[in-house]
Amino acid sequence: MNISIAAESLFHIGSFPVTNTLVVTLGISLIIIIFSFILKSRIRLVPRGFQNVVESVLEALLNLADSVTQDRKQSKKFFPIVATIFIFVILVNWVEVVPGLGTIGINKIEEGKQVLVPFIRSGSADLNFTLAIAIISVISAQVLGIAAIGIGKYAGKFFVSPFRSPYFVGTFVGLLELISEVAKLISFSFRLFGNIFAGEVLLMVMLFLVPYFIPLPFLFLELFVGFVQALVFAMLTLVFFKMAATEAH
Amino acid sequence: MNELLTKLGIDWKLLIAQIVNFLVLLFVLWKFAYGPIIAMLEKRQKKIEKGLKDAQDAHKKLAESEERQKEILKYARTEAKEIVEKSREQAEKAKSEIALEAKLQSEKIITDAKAQIEQEKQKTIAEIKSEIGSLVVAATEKIVGEKMDEKKDKELIEKSLL
Repeated sequence: MNISIAAESLFHIGSFPVTNTLVVTLGISLIIIIFSFILKSRIRLVPRGFQNVVESVLEALLNLADSVTQDRKQSKKFFPIVATIFIFVILVNWVEVVPGLGTIGINKIEEGKQVLVPFIRSGSADLNFTLAIAIISVISAQVLGIAAIGIGKYAGKFFVSPFRSPYFVGTFVGLLELISEVAKLISFSFRLFGNIFAGEVLLMVMLFLVPYFIPLPFLFLELFVGFVQALVFAMLTLVFFKMAATEAH
Repeated sequence: MNELLTKLGIDWKLLIAQIVNFLVLLFVLWKFAYGPIIAMLEKRQKKIEKGLKDAQDAHKKLAESEERQKEILKYARTEAKEIVEKSREQAEKAKSEIALEAKLQSEKIITDAKAQIEQEKQKTIAEIKSEIGSLVVAATEKIVGEKMDEKKDKELIEKSLL
């Protein structure tokens, strides 16, 4: 059993390492894109089958956005990014319960040792993936905030003149806000990565120790964790969007 | 710092690849899932609202027309009653008029007949009188046996008649 924090690369294209997580993420993206094309081609006023499922998920997300923003127009503006994060992250998270995790792969010689590089590794168990989404989330929050209240007022949240009441406290709070924006990147990416990576390691260890039945409850647990982490990521993004689009008091 | 990133497996090439991947996915979902689905949801909501409103309107209209129907029926009924009443009255009136006329007519006929009878009676009496006169003259002539002159004749007649 080989546990590595970094995603293992299956092969290289030039100097570009194709990791197992990249393959999995691309696969999931491809599946989502194919399904959305199918959905687009047979969308009907009276929904049926697959359209029903998609509609109920999107409507639930839209209502969730409404409950945070209290404004349909704003919800519609935030909705695409939040919904994409939720759908993409939950599907990528659930890859870890696919059979073959950590067992099916190719053997490679690394540093004189034979190492198994598994094909399946949840994209969220790779910091590149979680950090990428965190960067998009935080940058989108800045862009939406500036679009909603204007660049001057938005910058005013972070850069407060020390000569205005409450004087240096305001300046300090603004500075803290600026740091917290950067801290969001780290908290977003490491929360998701930590949860899913830990889940993968747990499942791998359980499978290694007791191959039958005992890992089952942990599979369900990981399904739940995957859902919760996707929801947390999407919800926090939504809340940060809302906070960015709200003027400072 | 660099070493830490390498240990954590963060590679800017992979990071950019993941960001691009996410953006592509976002674009595709936006264009092919969220847009059409949300438009469809709104369309359906509008349609359902319109349907409900239409149903309500139709219900209201039905109640209204029923009310009007009832009113018309009520009006027609009173109208019919009035007409029947009027015609009955008219008939009654006509009946009494006809009876009165008939009575008058019959009375007139009776009076006429009575007058005629009276006249006839007078005429007959006069005739009888003159007849009797000539008969008396003739008888007297026969008895007397001679023809009297005109003057005497008349005298005699008048005397016998008195």
